[in-house]
Amino acid sequence: MRVLVSTFGGDDHAKVLSAMKSLPYEKLVLVGEASVEDTEGFLKLRHLEEMSGHDMDFEPVDTSGFMETVEEICDVLIRCSKDPESGRSNLVALNISGGSKLLGGAALFSAFRLGTEAYHCDERVTKLPVLKGATAVDRFTTSQVKFIMSIKDGGMLFDELLRTLQPAGRQAAERTLRILRKERLVETELRSGKVHVALSAEGREVARTLGVAGTDLAACADR
Amino acid sequence: MAVVFGTLGYRPKSLIPTIRSTPKVDKVVFYCGADPKEQDAPKKVAEAKAAVLEYCRSMNISAIGIELDDPFDFKSIALRIRRDVRKQKKEGKEIAVFNIAGGTRPTSSAALLVCILEGIPTVYVHDVTYEEIHLPLLRMEYNQVLSGEEREILRILFKNRAKMLTEVELAAIVGKHKATVNHHLRNLVSKGAVRLEKHPGDARKKIVMLEESTELLLGDDE
Repeated sequence: MRVLVSTFGGDDHAKVLSAMKSLPYEKLVLVGEASVEDTEGFLKLRHLEEMSGHDMDFEPVDTSGFMETVEEICDVLIRCSKDPESGRSNLVALNISGGSKLLGGAALFSAFRLGTEAYHCDERVTKLPVLKGATAVDRFTTSQVKFIMSIKDGGMLFDELLRTLQPAGRQAAERTLRILRKERLVETELRSGKVHVALSAEGREVARTLGVAGTDLAACADR
Repeated sequence: MAVVFGTLGYRPKSLIPTIRSTPKVDKVVFYCGADPKEQDAPKKVAEAKAAVLEYCRSMNISAIGIELDDPFDFKSIALRIRRDVRKQKKEGKEIAVFNIAGGTRPTSSAALLVCILEGIPTVYVHDVTYEEIHLPLLRMEYNQVLSGEEREILRILFKNRAKMLTEVELAAIVGKHKATVNHHLRNLVSKGAVRLEKHPGDARKKIVMLEESTELLLGDDE
């Protein structure tokens, strides 16, 4: 099934209509603040969907913080990517033009995080350069993923980390550390003469992305 | 020395604090544009632009305020910003931060897109709370997602985008066997970067078309 997920701000249903006309879909899912459910635009869109014999889903999100909104939209996209009854994969397209700047920006961020096909639909329709299925996971080697995921819940002494990273040796782990530090994903500091490693803010974002993409240590072992 | 980029709407205060809080700024580049549907918009945008320019002049920082022809044309804005960002990078400037708080929604989203593609630190100011939020952006390293051959094919298609290249013609330009190029094309189709269409004059042939989004992916100065 093809699912169209669109951000929506209440007064901008024309942008959703543009997406509905331009992108093929069987199910429409709107994402917006809870208050938009009472707007004229929302009711109009719901009526249009009912006329075509379909339900329209609404996923309320809290837009008080950017990254929190990203997390919520990612959850919506992941839920929409699978049919809960048949378990089959759905094709998801995301329109980011509706709603506030924060909502649109968070939706764009989520599309890149998950590799979801995305569009900006207004008077013109622009397909965004998100490569299907390409996420941050593709940037990293197995050993880098294992390194990041090992310290995702908090930093630790490098010597302790070495045990987690086995069978990789010290030399390989130090090489991975150098690369991740250069990319500003990992920070190090000396604590009582020992090296302590932790993820930077960017590193934590990578870890979240890897987590969302279903990458865990067990999966690393299989790669 | 560093460059601050920004998008500007009616409120200079959404951009000036970022200029002030960024160390060693020697240049500010910002984008603005008025909504033609709003009567007061040109005046408000001009006032905001003048305020930012005046602040920069007083601080001895060079500043360029770029008026966008159409602040609702997402694609043109994204291409323009990306070109400017790359120009600064080529000149060896460090882009310290991009403030995406001001301007129209398409301008802000287009700026965010460029930040993701170019790996620029990004700051957002919440519309309601005015809180400055630094986004932990990831640079999408498509160089690592696409193979060297795939990137080469995309570059060739982009350079020849006015022509309708068939798979055979593309293989000849790439200098590889048709079967090899077909293999890479299948991968690019599955990633949504290119599509194959029937040749209008010969149904047995297929034309290789770049998806519109690939232009944004590569940037128009490739």
